[in-house]
Amino acid sequence: MNTPLLEVENLHVKYGNIEALHGISFTVGEGEIVTLIGANGAGKSTTLMAVAQLPPPEAPKITGGDIRFRGQSILGMAPDRIVADLHLALVPEGRHIFGNLTVEENLKLATYARKDGVNELNRDYKRVYQLFPRLNERRKQRSESLSGGEQQMLAVGRALMSGCRFIMLDEPSMGLAPLLMYDMFRTLKELNEEGMTILLIEQNANLALKFAHRGYVIDTGEIVAHGPCASLMENPEVKKAYLGG
Amino acid sequence: MDFIIQNILNALQWGSFYALIALGYTLVYGVLRLINFAHGDIFMVGAYIAFFLATTMLGPSFGLSPFMTFVIAVPLTMALTACVGVTLERIAYRPLRRKGAHRLYVVITALMCGLILEYGNLAVLGASRLKFPDLIEKSIWSVGDVTMTNLKVIVIVAAVVVFIFLNFIVTKTKIGMAMRGISYDKFAIPLMGIPIDSIIVFTFILGSGFAGLAGLLFAMSYPILEPFMGMIIGWKAFIAAVVGGIGDIRGAFYGGFLLGFIEVGVVTVFPSTYRDLFAFSILLLILWIKPTGLFGMPQSTKI
Repeated sequence: MNTPLLEVENLHVKYGNIEALHGISFTVGEGEIVTLIGANGAGKSTTLMAVAQLPPPEAPKITGGDIRFRGQSILGMAPDRIVADLHLALVPEGRHIFGNLTVEENLKLATYARKDGVNELNRDYKRVYQLFPRLNERRKQRSESLSGGEQQMLAVGRALMSGCRFIMLDEPSMGLAPLLMYDMFRTLKELNEEGMTILLIEQNANLALKFAHRGYVIDTGEIVAHGPCASLMENPEVKKAYLGG
Repeated sequence: MDFIIQNILNALQWGSFYALIALGYTLVYGVLRLINFAHGDIFMVGAYIAFFLATTMLGPSFGLSPFMTFVIAVPLTMALTACVGVTLERIAYRPLRRKGAHRLYVVITALMCGLILEYGNLAVLGASRLKFPDLIEKSIWSVGDVTMTNLKVIVIVAAVVVFIFLNFIVTKTKIGMAMRGISYDKFAIPLMGIPIDSIIVFTFILGSGFAGLAGLLFAMSYPILEPFMGMIIGWKAFIAAVVGGIGDIRGAFYGGFLLGFIEVGVVTVFPSTYRDLFAFSILLLILWIKPTGLFGMPQSTKI
């Protein structure tokens, strides 16, 4: 493999005075699906926020290590440039949709920094509405009136409208009924087959390991295991701690 | 009947001033959750900027006609006042925001900035009042006992045009959507590829620009300038914005006109010294009944 698309190397981050990540390293190659699994509070969301370069106080402060995109360090880059220039999007935990805007406006707002012409934008709107027909039905509705599953679709749709080629998802299955959850993962798989790189955080380790190519296990701010998903699923430690025996 | 129409016109004029200033409070609050207490003084600075522009352009070096001066002074005053607002944001509010300061400190900073503008003006220009030159020839139209000046019409039309313009910006443009988006969820804005600071700067440009316009029109209508002229009117506009529902531009607009009507209404019945007492008592009553203001939504809970 050439230089991976994303390399996180020995990353240390702090919230206030508390260190949340004690030097974690992982890579994501172009076109891959990589998952980070681990218990609540292990530092998974923190990792994604650090990669997205979100500023404190909401996000952690990076105190050591490096994050590289195509070999170039992105430390200190403005979070909006990460999206606009690197086409790297984060679908955050809790969705963070703009509830006071309509579905359509949410999607439109995500195209803020795009320089593409009307044709490309229209093609992408069409694609999002085709992937998530529910959003099409509700495009004029205020998005806070959507159900949890629909809000998750909107959050993913918004990331797609930002023109991303690499999407980081923080617990996309949270609060979704099983049927919707499988739908969501099927859609993500479809996107991956079209070339989208995916970095996924999941509480549901079973689901994540079935879906992804490779996985990393985070425990209290450190990577404790990694490898292809098939081998992680056979790993007795991982089995015991995260897959329910 | 004539008496009523006359008073309605006066109320519309004062309401326009309040609305133009209230819009600035509400825009900044919507985006930053900051009550920009320096805003009334930005209005004052706008009036002074208009004064210096007008006297320069009327003066011997340019020798423009009063009407041409007015035409040029409107955009120039708005632009320069906007610069003052943006500067304030840069040197006072942004550094605190970067450090994650508690909102209380930012509000106090805003109060201090207002005082600095007032006393800076006093220090530089002295305590003497300035007389604003006449820019447009006053024409008075009388129908029966109702008199209408062209200046009053300009003030009212300006407020309405500004409202329509802002409504367009906020509902139809991406930058306006971003302004609404920030007020709901600031965290997600950079994730959409939107630089937060540019939205904040744009908000200050709008709010301060309209305060500058209000300053110019006010100085033309009541042509005596003094450093503290923005204080009371700023407070009133702020209260109007809150009564209308702060954060909502319709609220600022209707709140401003409501205050104008209440004030003029009180004066038609009671001696004018009762005006502010009664006006604010009525507003207090409105807030008792609807603490979020007329157009305010209860703060939506975030998941």
